[in-house]
Amino acid sequence: MITLDDMSLSIEDFNRCIEDIVNTSDNLIDGWRFEQNEELENGKYIIKKEQKVLSQDQEDDINHVLTFEYHIAFNISYGVPVLCFNVWKQDGTMLTVEEFWKLNERFKESNMYDTITQMDHPVLRRPFFTLHPCRTHEIMEPFLEESKNPVVSWLTVVGPFVHLDLNEEYVKMCS
Amino acid sequence: MSDNLSYVQISSSVNPSFWNKLSELKLNVYKLDESKHSIWGYHTIINSTSCPITLMEVDSTSFNREFTAHNQYLPFHGWILNTNTIEQFKECDKVELINSEGHKLYQHIINEDVFKDTSLLNRFFILSFADLKKFHYYYWFSFPVPRHVVVEKIDACDLENVFSPEEVETLHSAYKNLDCTQRSYFIVKKESGKMLEICTLAFQLKSITLEDKDNYYFVFHNISNDKNAVGSPFRNYVAFLLYYCDFLQNKIVNFISFNLSRTGSQVTCRKSIVYKLKLPMKTKDFYTSWVGWEKNERDKMGPKLANMKNTLDPSVIAENAVDLNLKLMKWNLLPSIDLDNIKKTKCLLLGAGTLGCSVARTLLGWGVRDITFVDNSTVSFSNPVRQSLFTYQDSVDMKSKSKAAADNLKNIFPGVNSVGHQLTIPMPGHSVGESLLEQTKESVKKLTQLIKDHDAIFLLLDSRESRWLPTLIGNVENKILINAALGFDSYLVMRHGVYSQNDTIQASDHPEGCKVITGNNLACYFCCDVTAPGDSLKGRTLDQQCTVTRPGVSQIAGALAVELLISVLQHKHGVLAPAYYSTAQTVPMQEMTASGDSVLGLVPHSIRGFLSSFEQILPATEKYKNCVACSDLVINEYKEKQMEFLLNVFNSSKHLEDVALLTEMFKDTDFEEVLEFSDEDFSA
Repeated sequence: MITLDDMSLSIEDFNRCIEDIVNTSDNLIDGWRFEQNEELENGKYIIKKEQKVLSQDQEDDINHVLTFEYHIAFNISYGVPVLCFNVWKQDGTMLTVEEFWKLNERFKESNMYDTITQMDHPVLRRPFFTLHPCRTHEIMEPFLEESKNPVVSWLTVVGPFVHLDLNEEYVKMCS
Repeated sequence: MSDNLSYVQISSSVNPSFWNKLSELKLNVYKLDESKHSIWGYHTIINSTSCPITLMEVDSTSFNREFTAHNQYLPFHGWILNTNTIEQFKECDKVELINSEGHKLYQHIINEDVFKDTSLLNRFFILSFADLKKFHYYYWFSFPVPRHVVVEKIDACDLENVFSPEEVETLHSAYKNLDCTQRSYFIVKKESGKMLEICTLAFQLKSITLEDKDNYYFVFHNISNDKNAVGSPFRNYVAFLLYYCDFLQNKIVNFISFNLSRTGSQVTCRKSIVYKLKLPMKTKDFYTSWVGWEKNERDKMGPKLANMKNTLDPSVIAENAVDLNLKLMKWNLLPSIDLDNIKKTKCLLLGAGTLGCSVARTLLGWGVRDITFVDNSTVSFSNPVRQSLFTYQDSVDMKSKSKAAADNLKNIFPGVNSVGHQLTIPMPGHSVGESLLEQTKESVKKLTQLIKDHDAIFLLLDSRESRWLPTLIGNVENKILINAALGFDSYLVMRHGVYSQNDTIQASDHPEGCKVITGNNLACYFCCDVTAPGDSLKGRTLDQQCTVTRPGVSQIAGALAVELLISVLQHKHGVLAPAYYSTAQTVPMQEMTASGDSVLGLVPHSIRGFLSSFEQILPATEKYKNCVACSDLVINEYKEKQMEFLLNVFNSSKHLEDVALLTEMFKDTDFEEVLEFSDEDFSA
């Protein structure tokens, strides 16, 4: 057990939570699937892809078909789950973090710069857009006792910032 | 009057991993092989509400032999033809290519392959050229369908208007039980008074007759997100049906446009549509004329280009990651820091020893891209442990330090532009004989040019006199000069004042107990000394000749030298930034850091540190009018006589004392008294 104190999420807890997510997703045909690097203690993570159309701003009528690939992995140093994602256009070129911010100007007030940054994926060790993990523990803390699936509870809070909406079936898993 | 059925074109969506995999295969497997390779495409079985466009995706798993995708995908069968040259990509006959693809599909129909795997009717083809040096991918998708398939829409209604809720449920659960090879196209048999039957094409199609055709519904999984249109592969379905049921030509036939959608947590097929469609007559070229090249982003028929440099080129990934780290500093802490100014500052490092290595590494951290080394020696066996850019192997190979430092810096970060120059800097009092004359002149020229070509000059040499020439030239050229020198357990890091700037920057208000010296009035390394630099290595013991220092000292001093440069660069007045110094013990320097002139705080003139007490002080000194390196006397003499003056100085440092009028001064001074006060350069 990697638990720092009683009120934090262990890797075992995390793995159980993402397993539940994948099971529910399979029933919903929602697209979450497992990936694993067996050499790492925190090697398990889940992935989901989703296509969305976001328009840049008023001047730009062009609709950008973007593919979001979400990853939920475990960050050992913070002891929290991490939501990483990459976004690419139809030709496969990735959005830069600046381009992503531009598409999300409505979130500016909540200080996008602090919230979404680029960090190395905990397992893949490649740069991904990441919801900065430093506040995750704070957000998760109330859920650790109350929720049966703290990872889902946390996702329902932070997901909307990155256009990730969870089906109500997942929320049912928490109580 | 009824309309014709409208078709939705499929739009390709390439995952970055697809290009990555293609590059890998091209390099290791395909090589120059230009044959077609079969690949998979994916379409989600549940129509998306967030994306109105009909997408077919390819990713790295597209190259798998078997279809192993997640249960949410319908397979598309495809091929990729990756040409070896851009010319072949451009010149190959696109009409012929798509017709030959169509012909292959036709073969699948007549061979009855489609019965085994109905998804063979969902087809695509990629023509590509991969420029692997630039990570540029030229590509053109096609989704071949027969040209002449005009279908008349006689009637359309919701599924639930034709089928009872139980039948709809039967349809959905039967669909779930179908193998993924049979899900794209199948048949529903509805006879009055009988249970709804869901059958595969293989099982049912050939037994259908003109008379009982109305009992059958030809189902197709509609990939269009616009429910009033159908995906273009529907045309292949018609081509297939008319091949086996010739009698359906010009007849009205039942179809179900099968659509899976999500309502809340439920996935249903209730949004499917039942059509009555009038199928066309087969024209003569019905199975031979094919269309379906994808339009590009300008809505023209033409290829697309994916520039994947940012994603796939590891050196570009490294550059972006380094820049991002610095940008995070800007975004989170220092919004007004000018990172571009730092990035474009060209740095010349004179000396590639402990200090040079440490300075270079810290410059890399700040995103500086141009770092030039000058040194005259080779990597020795004792160097690598203290000099962070060298390895044991460099000592074995006796590599020149400047070259090894530049090479290793590029290994650490390929985005850096780093060059090493093997050069001995001519020094005062190191006489130049006839044999060395040309070489010395050459060295002066080379050093002068290097200083001109850079913005910031670091003096990181191991002797005092080797700093004289670059101090002089750097001063004349108005460059930022940062000087670092080491004692055994002490260090000095300082910036030199600049040569006669006309406008003096008025120092802003400063707290009591502080004094200020303007940037053009700051001392250079030599101002504090009243003798000309001579051959300081002469008569020294070995431990005096090699710099014997506590190993951490060079790391500290090197880092400080870079931070001092960065503070200068970020100051409103740059090299003319004034230096404050405390004259009273009561004023802590920390209180002076708040200044509107620089986001990074104050810019000291010099930093002296002492490891014996782990203390650091920030003295500031004014220029000395008789300085042997930066006084007007010396500079004017140099400007007037150039090489002649320099050669005189090299041959005798006494000449320098004459020019700086020090000789005269000494006559009137009790020399013993002066020496008592002129402490060692950098000791306490």
